[in-house]
Amino acid sequence: MDTQPIVKLNEVTRIYEGKVMHRALNHLDLEVEQGEFVAIMGPSGSGKTTLLNLLSTIDVPTYGRILIDGVEPEALHHNELALFRRRKFGFVFQDINLLHMLTVEENLVLPLTLDNHPLEEMERRVNELAERLDLTEILDRRPDELSGGQAQRTAIGRALIHKPKIILADEPTGNLDSKSAKDVLELLNQINETERTTIIMVTHDPIAASYCDRVVFIKDGAFFNEIYKDERRQTFFQRILNVLSLLGGHTHGLSSVRLP
Amino acid sequence: MDFRQFAFRNVVRNRRIYAAFFMASVFSVMVFFLYSMLLFHPSIEDRFVQEIAITGMGAAELVLYVFTLFFLFYSMRAFLQARSKEFGILLHLGMEKRQLQKLIFIETMIIGIASIAAGTVLGYTFSKFFLMIVKEIVLLPALPLYFSWEPFALTVGAFLSLFIIISLIAPVFIRTEQVLELIQKDTSGREAFGYSKHRGYLGLLFLGLSYILAAATSNSVVIGLIFLLPPLATMGTYYFFTDSLSLLLHKVRARRKLYWHHFWLLSISEGVVRLKENARMFFVVTIVSTVAFMSVGALASLTSFASQYREMHPLGLMYKSEPGNAHERQHITQLVNELNRGDFDYALVRFQVLTQHSSFTDQPVNVLKLSNINMLADSFQFPEIYLEKGQAIFLPPTASSYEQLQSRVVETTLKESNVAVEIDGAYPYQLFSSYSMGSNAIILSDADYNKVMASAPYGELTAFSYYAFNIPKWQETKEIGLLIQYNESIIPGASNQLPYTFENPGLNYSVIRTTFSLLLFIGLLLAAVFFLAAGSFIYFRLYTSLERDRKQFDVLRRMGITDREFKKIVNQQLIPQFFFPWGVAFVHSSFAFLSLQVIWDALAEISIVKELAMVLAGFTLMQILYFYLIRWRYLAHTKAPV
Repeated sequence: MDTQPIVKLNEVTRIYEGKVMHRALNHLDLEVEQGEFVAIMGPSGSGKTTLLNLLSTIDVPTYGRILIDGVEPEALHHNELALFRRRKFGFVFQDINLLHMLTVEENLVLPLTLDNHPLEEMERRVNELAERLDLTEILDRRPDELSGGQAQRTAIGRALIHKPKIILADEPTGNLDSKSAKDVLELLNQINETERTTIIMVTHDPIAASYCDRVVFIKDGAFFNEIYKDERRQTFFQRILNVLSLLGGHTHGLSSVRLP
Repeated sequence: MDFRQFAFRNVVRNRRIYAAFFMASVFSVMVFFLYSMLLFHPSIEDRFVQEIAITGMGAAELVLYVFTLFFLFYSMRAFLQARSKEFGILLHLGMEKRQLQKLIFIETMIIGIASIAAGTVLGYTFSKFFLMIVKEIVLLPALPLYFSWEPFALTVGAFLSLFIIISLIAPVFIRTEQVLELIQKDTSGREAFGYSKHRGYLGLLFLGLSYILAAATSNSVVIGLIFLLPPLATMGTYYFFTDSLSLLLHKVRARRKLYWHHFWLLSISEGVVRLKENARMFFVVTIVSTVAFMSVGALASLTSFASQYREMHPLGLMYKSEPGNAHERQHITQLVNELNRGDFDYALVRFQVLTQHSSFTDQPVNVLKLSNINMLADSFQFPEIYLEKGQAIFLPPTASSYEQLQSRVVETTLKESNVAVEIDGAYPYQLFSSYSMGSNAIILSDADYNKVMASAPYGELTAFSYYAFNIPKWQETKEIGLLIQYNESIIPGASNQLPYTFENPGLNYSVIRTTFSLLLFIGLLLAAVFFLAAGSFIYFRLYTSLERDRKQFDVLRRMGITDREFKKIVNQQLIPQFFFPWGVAFVHSSFAFLSLQVIWDALAEISIVKELAMVLAGFTLMQILYFYLIRWRYLAHTKAPV
């Protein structure tokens, strides 16, 4: 069971029909092991978002198979799929997407209320998590009273509270300053290490990618290259830059040489 | 693309925002046009009923005009504020302030002219139907469709002036000094969470107080309350929406067991925000709906008055002649001739009512003859009554006094004639209008009556003669006896001294019924306009927050929400917005009707509960339909991909 990858994409193709037919993904294979921290990189229009939508089961492939934790999402009924998503996944978005009418505490607890956990357990988990993410002081604040880093930490908390198997992150550091970005990435790294939660992160930013175990590059919807981390993040970062320059296209990271 | 084309395309592309607003405007124009059609109708001239029609329509047009002015004013402001980002970009690109004003002016006029055109065309299309309904109500022989420039000129003139006023005022609503502020302006309220505890409790207090006062009204204070309650309730409603509700919801939030349960977390917190953002709108909708309920309810209760009129006036015609009336014979002959000419079935009974004093009370008492009563009762197909010599019964002056008199037994002697009778019980059927036989009347057996009659020279004891005409087709007699009434009216102030009174319930009824039905009809149309306007506010508010909602639902969908749960959440968010203001209006008007019932009780013994239940049920049904319509659109929009 352990050797079975938690995410397995087999020859996945996604075509959008429209006035212009658009092949967003093209025969893509991908395997992610349990407990792995994977970054997915590629230039704009390379199919990153499509891939993330397929992984989060809100979109289905035109051809090919997807297996997530041994389940084929396509085979599930609409409602089963929603419940599947709710229990297996945690989401972290670029524009953070906290619900603005809820306080930090309420945002954290939201996924639990949907599944009707007992109140004591909800409170226990919120407090535990707030402690770990350093949110205890700001539990009563509203999203528009938070700094970018605090907001993203809250969002990560919301993604973690129901102990999901997989966290899907879409440019989680895209809107953050470098200090907050570093904090967030270290937090994700720590979660990945202590809880063995699988994290799949789509990013433009080579620094963000350098925190991962493995970086998968895609171009024009197809697999391009992949590299594994080594002992030093600095050299890993350099290797990522090299692949990106091979990849061409516009990547934000190329111009930036900020390294912590 | 020139400037005008730009404005035109702006309107066309924003059509979804403008849809409900446009619909409400068109409807308002249409109703206004229909009223005008009647106002200028050539075959309506100088008769009483028509006068009411014209006054009513005129008043309704004025109300409609003022209401539409406010409605447009409020809507335009909301529209422009919602588009502030767009205006910010235009200013950023270097548009002059004057040009922006011109743009808004042109846009507003485009919508205005389009709704005037559509409203008038629709109005003219429906005017045949409208005139047919009015014809039925006013009981006119014919009210044909006509074509004349006047209604068109009035409608177009009125609404064109209205839209010009609004177009000129509208640009004031956007402050053009701070371009950056306009661009960055987040339409979602930032101060959505503050409220004042003070005003919250004050609102609850005001509302509670007005409800208690309204429920506890009595006849003596009701007039004073009419002036006190509306402002009190209005203030209370305002604070209720701005602060009290937030206060209450805050209390719910403090109770986690309740609040952290399923979708309540989402619904309640979302509710708080929506409430705060839209408090003023909810307030306006509540007051508008209350006014609509109230006016329709009041008019419906008047109609109920008309339908109970027949029970209170069972006779077709009546003529009461005092002693010494020289016209008696001539008038009766005339009435009989007119009835015969009109081919009416009728029964005429002449009552010679004698007056006596009762030894029991020392008060005068009117004496009627049993065979006369039985004759009249026979024409109504009521069973005959038998009285032995020495027996008598009361003739109750009103239907409700029967209960009291029914079990009363009095032994008395009629003083002047010295006839002793035992009065036992009361006459059970309503043959006459209230008090037409005086407040104290008894029925004697024929033998006793004749004895009283014989006790004095002929005519000396006669209180009056009463001619009762029972006419089954009593509603068609309104042309009968017009001459007698005409004589009455040409001598001003003389009607009190005239030796006779003539009443034609058929004519009175037709006037009352027509008036009230017409007013009700006018009122219903007005209420429909109010109703659509209130709905358009809600629709518009939903539409402006659609972008934000869509994003939120996208988050929730990714998180994993089943379709049923999604629908549930939408319901929990939409239902309060739709039904809450309206429910408050409902409670408001119920309490107002409690007071109204007090007034009606004093005026006539009439219950208006049934009419009101019907009116409120009708509105409920309409609101539910409207809710499903809007929810359907809303679901379709929010489910669409971002």
